[in-house]
Amino acid sequence: MSLKASRLLDGDLRPEDVPATLDGMESHSDERDRFTIYRLIGDTLRGNSTPDDGYSKRIFDRIRRETSGK
Amino acid sequence: MFDHDPDVELVRLAQAGDSRAFEAIVVKYQRRIARLIARYLKSADDVEDAVQEVFLRVYRSLNTFRGDSLFYTWLFRVATNVALRQLERQPSDVLLGDDDPEERIVGFEPGITDAAQPERTAMAEQIAETVQAALSRLLPHLAEALMLYEVENKSYAEIAQMLEIPLGTVRTWIYRARESIAKRLDPILRSQRSERW
Repeated sequence: MSLKASRLLDGDLRPEDVPATLDGMESHSDERDRFTIYRLIGDTLRGNSTPDDGYSKRIFDRIRRETSGK
Repeated sequence: MFDHDPDVELVRLAQAGDSRAFEAIVVKYQRRIARLIARYLKSADDVEDAVQEVFLRVYRSLNTFRGDSLFYTWLFRVATNVALRQLERQPSDVLLGDDDPEERIVGFEPGITDAAQPERTAMAEQIAETVQAALSRLLPHLAEALMLYEVENKSYAEIAQMLEIPLGTVRTWIYRARESIAKRLDPILRSQRSERW
């Protein structure tokens, strides 16, 4: 399954496989973690090793807050 | 849309209302957007606020994206516009001078050198050291495939051609390289995992 997280990150999955991969990531936190760690590895190799540290979650929270009710 | 846009399917799903697809886009690009915005704004708080603004705008206008450019090109254009508009409101944040722009960027990386967040700084350094150490322990062909993709910005097809291997082997090597490094990162990230997406 982590292979699919790796391929999703790279846009290498067949379109019909993307929803199922997102399903898997939604129901298995380990898979979701793999996606974020693989991205962190790439960003680190490009010189940015900043830990997420809730950064993404705060983005989602603001989007939810400012688009709720629409 | 561009046939070779790696984000085409995530964008299509997000446009159809799949919030998971949009969240994957955020996870994928938030660090790069933060790095871009840190070229314009001084404080980590301002950078984070601008990053949130970028993704909020993208979320709201996603259906106007027609694929006339790569998605990340469009995303980076939005980010640049947000940073410039924030600069207009806070002219004191303009970074002028003869010093090295790269040094200025490093100084304003959110969390990396922010004196108010020493724990994040230490964590970032530990992550960088762990990734480099794990990379040096990889089988050379795995490390080469990963570096070609992540650093040299080569596509799977280009890597297959350069290394004279099948496309399927490229995706497997990159996956194996990532997974091997991820196992080294697991212990130091476990403490904050509950807070991540």
